[in-house]
Amino acid sequence: MIVCVAVVGHQNNPLYIQSFTEADDALKLHHIVHCSLDVVDERVNNPKKSSPTLNETFLGLLYPTENYKVYGYLTNTKVKLILVTTDLDVRDADVRNFFRKFHAAYVDAVSNPFHVPGKKITSRTFSERVSTVVKSFGLSSGS
Amino acid sequence: MGREVSESCVESLLTEIVSSYCNGFYADKPELAARRIEAIGFQVGHQLSERYTMDRPRFTDHLEAIKFICKDFWSEVFKKQIDNLKTNHRGTFVLQDNRFRWLSRMSVDPSIETLGSIQDPSAMAENKAAQAIGMHLYFPCGIIRGALSNLGIPCAVSADISNLPACSFVIRIKA
Repeated sequence: MIVCVAVVGHQNNPLYIQSFTEADDALKLHHIVHCSLDVVDERVNNPKKSSPTLNETFLGLLYPTENYKVYGYLTNTKVKLILVTTDLDVRDADVRNFFRKFHAAYVDAVSNPFHVPGKKITSRTFSERVSTVVKSFGLSSGS
Repeated sequence: MGREVSESCVESLLTEIVSSYCNGFYADKPELAARRIEAIGFQVGHQLSERYTMDRPRFTDHLEAIKFICKDFWSEVFKKQIDNLKTNHRGTFVLQDNRFRWLSRMSVDPSIETLGSIQDPSAMAENKAAQAIGMHLYFPCGIIRGALSNLGIPCAVSADISNLPACSFVIRIKA
């Protein structure tokens, strides 16, 4: 199950962060997202030379914690998308697929002429779309 | 989901933007009008670059980003690629479009031409026409600047129309 997703701007400013748990652990999840930003920077600044996935937008598993796995995605415009999940065996393809849909939703949200670049995304349509994508992620990985 | 935009609508809209900013809101301040039109272009370029770079790996250097503007970005916006790219390898790039779409159907307002009857009619009219065309180029300049700055390349963009209908965009990357 996905417990948290986040969009972080190019100056590491939070643009959108949403947790999907019943329990009152939003702060902990936000902390996990915050920690992952350093890992993203590290990946981008010191890429593994031999890696075939050089400069790919999908960064893969950033780091595992005891209960969570954190995945990252960095767009061409230096916007970071972060995913925190409790599933321990996640297929890479599912995550890629999730990020692609998430990115598409983000692009549509910032293309709104009333959205101010660099400000938080407040669009309700965007939140609903993200929730749908998050729910469908649970289904596809379960099958 | 290939949504398309009517080309004639975009051209009319551009003409209207330019005329309302130059003759309406800022009739006596052409520099301010130019800045406002450029700012609109900037926002458009900013949003377009977000969309058009969705499915590609990240750019490693400036040249790669400029090539993206010349090829994919230009094809998406103008249905053709840039015809000629020149660079001095020190942060200046010249993008030449031999038949720039937004200028290809432009004619000069006859009322502007009659204004130039004071001393040297032809030179004056030419100057006015160049000014009017220049106003229409702030928008595409803004688009290029917006796209590049969203890709992390701050720059200044200007246009050169010395041999119409070819049009050159000069990009100077800020160090």
